Amino acid sequence: MDLFLERLISGLTNGSIYALLALALVVVFRGTGTLNFAQGELALFTTFVAWWLTTQSLPIWFAIAAALGVGFIMGALIERLLIRPVAKRNDMAVLIVALGLFTGLNSLAGLLWGSETKIMPSPFPNGESDFISIGGARLYGDALGVWGALIGLMGLMTLLFRFTKVGLHMRAVADNATSATLAGVRTSRILAIGWGLSGAIGALAGVLVTPLAPQQLSLTTMFSIFIAASAAALFGGLDSLVGAVVGGLVIGVLEAMLTGYVSVIGGSLQQTSALLIIVVILFAKPTGLFGTTKLVRV
Amino acid sequence: MGVQDPTVVDDTPRVTAPGGMPSGPVPAPVSPGGGGLTGRGPLTIIEGSRRHWALRALGVVAVVAVLLLASQAQAFRVGQFTNVFIIAIAIVGLNLVTGHTGLLSIGHSAFFGLGAYTTGVLVARYDAAPMTTIPVAVVLSFVLGLLVGLPSLRIKGLYLALVTLTVGVSFPEIIRRAEELTGGAAGLVVRSASLAPPAWTGLGRAQRGIWMFWVSAAVLLLVMWLSRNLVRSRFGLGMRSTRDHEIAAAASGVRVARTKILAFGVSGAITGLAGSLFTMYIGALSPDGSFTLLKSIELVTGLVLGGIATQLGPVVGAVAVVFLPQLTGAFSTGPLSGVVFGVVLIAIVFVMPEGIVGRIGLWVRRRVAVVPADRPGLAADTTAAPPPAPPPHSNTHNRWEDQ
Repeated sequence: MDLFLERLISGLTNGSIYALLALALVVVFRGTGTLNFAQGELALFTTFVAWWLTTQSLPIWFAIAAALGVGFIMGALIERLLIRPVAKRNDMAVLIVALGLFTGLNSLAGLLWGSETKIMPSPFPNGESDFISIGGARLYGDALGVWGALIGLMGLMTLLFRFTKVGLHMRAVADNATSATLAGVRTSRILAIGWGLSGAIGALAGVLVTPLAPQQLSLTTMFSIFIAASAAALFGGLDSLVGAVVGGLVIGVLEAMLTGYVSVIGGSLQQTSALLIIVVILFAKPTGLFGTTKLVRV
Repeated sequence: MGVQDPTVVDDTPRVTAPGGMPSGPVPAPVSPGGGGLTGRGPLTIIEGSRRHWALRALGVVAVVAVLLLASQAQAFRVGQFTNVFIIAIAIVGLNLVTGHTGLLSIGHSAFFGLGAYTTGVLVARYDAAPMTTIPVAVVLSFVLGLLVGLPSLRIKGLYLALVTLTVGVSFPEIIRRAEELTGGAAGLVVRSASLAPPAWTGLGRAQRGIWMFWVSAAVLLLVMWLSRNLVRSRFGLGMRSTRDHEIAAAASGVRVARTKILAFGVSGAITGLAGSLFTMYIGALSPDGSFTLLKSIELVTGLVLGGIATQLGPVVGAVAVVFLPQLTGAFSTGPLSGVVFGVVLIAIVFVMPEGIVGRIGLWVRRRVAVVPADRPGLAADTTAAPPPAPPPHSNTHNRWEDQ
């Protein structure tokens, strides 16, 4: 039982990270209608920024705040300078730009800070003895911290979308950009804010995951997380925030359980099996679990 | 965008843009009876005329000359050229499904890998002759392609990209898992003795480089010819109309489902063929080496750089992805080349969205038009009446996108 609980805890923790990055993907998708391939690498870059600030003997919380800020600015700039000019053309062009960012940002991080593995300090207590015991399973401080961050972010986003003007405008743009523009919404600014927001969320996911990740902070850290996150976002149905969170958690737990209980899969086929299950689900529901089906007039 | 007007079939690479990729400025139309007379229109060449054949012959001579010249280069250069050919074959495969059918695949590394590992395992474990493994690799990749194509009936757009992503991500994991057969993470080494050129060529084991150079070049030419014919066939028309407007295609009698699945199959088979050659060329395989998602990204990059849905794009794109990292690596090895790679990729989208070949094709088509002999109205030097129905502009460009 305690083994099961431990797997559940680790699954939920990884799942929360996937959910965070998936939220970033969904925010972009709702605005621009594309999957931001560079989201993971953007998060990686901002995490390097945070790491670099901690090596300058700045407190970790300041470093995280700065990384969020950098993430916001970079996201907004990317939208304004690189995405918007080509977004009118088609999906493929945006996708290629994102692929370019993917390679470019990853290499830029390597160029600035070297490719060797860095140790990123955790903002939460994560020593050997910092755990609460639940039914024999150990719940460590940083796992709790990650859950807390996800819940907190969900709360903030609900507030943003429900009760603020910017949130209302973002929903309007996601729903129908043309109508929103005609009604006086400054669509272009809203799009930039959306990308900035997702850059900041990605940065949060990055700084939270690296102390937990087996590779710590290296150039490959974010890639597998990005794969899982994009699967989570698609699973939930690209345009649903709730779907992204549910998707992330489901994938995290699925991975942990499959790895733990199905010996054929073991530690080596977890991505494959998680993704396969999602494909099967997509087969049944082609726009994800919570996605809206688009009706097109022909 | 456009189902091409069958009347402008010619040898120059076509710039059609997939799923809405802009084809840039519309090439100058060949106005009936105008053209050459005014001196401003393109040079008109009638398809099948002596001039046309001379041009074709010139093209063949040029290709043979370039190949002969390239084969004389230093051994490591010859190796690089071989690599270019192999990547080009893989991109030709990708082009069929992504360029001509409009289904974005980011899982083609799996087809490449399946072909490579089929040949590798058969040669290393079962002592098969390398060339005899090619059909096996092609058939297996074809079947995998059909399987990947299957979900495309229900799953569309980015969701479909996720399916291909799954295949791309899974492949290295499965290879690592199937250790007994594939050597797992440690990799699979094929003894160079088993990869030696066949005896009838008279080439020794040390000349494997030049042997693979010619084999790859021949396969590339064959595959390009097949792909060209496929795209121009009735099936190819179905592929393009599926890309341009699926509902209209279905309404016009195109079997969209079959078209998509078969396109994936053929595409996978060609990319698998490239993988098979890759094993013979490189001799050692590892799951994390050439078969990860990054390979898929490299192939997509090559396709876009060269020119989506063009005939020569894959070759130019392959040259770019093989040599660009080395060029940029020359002034600084390592990360900087990655940065430059990313910047170049983005720059291409901004300044040359139709790709290198696409851009050149536009330029050429403004100056040279090859028209079929049975449409005399298109030829510049004829006095025959223009064909009854079409208004001046409708001959040269499709009208789909304008509606």
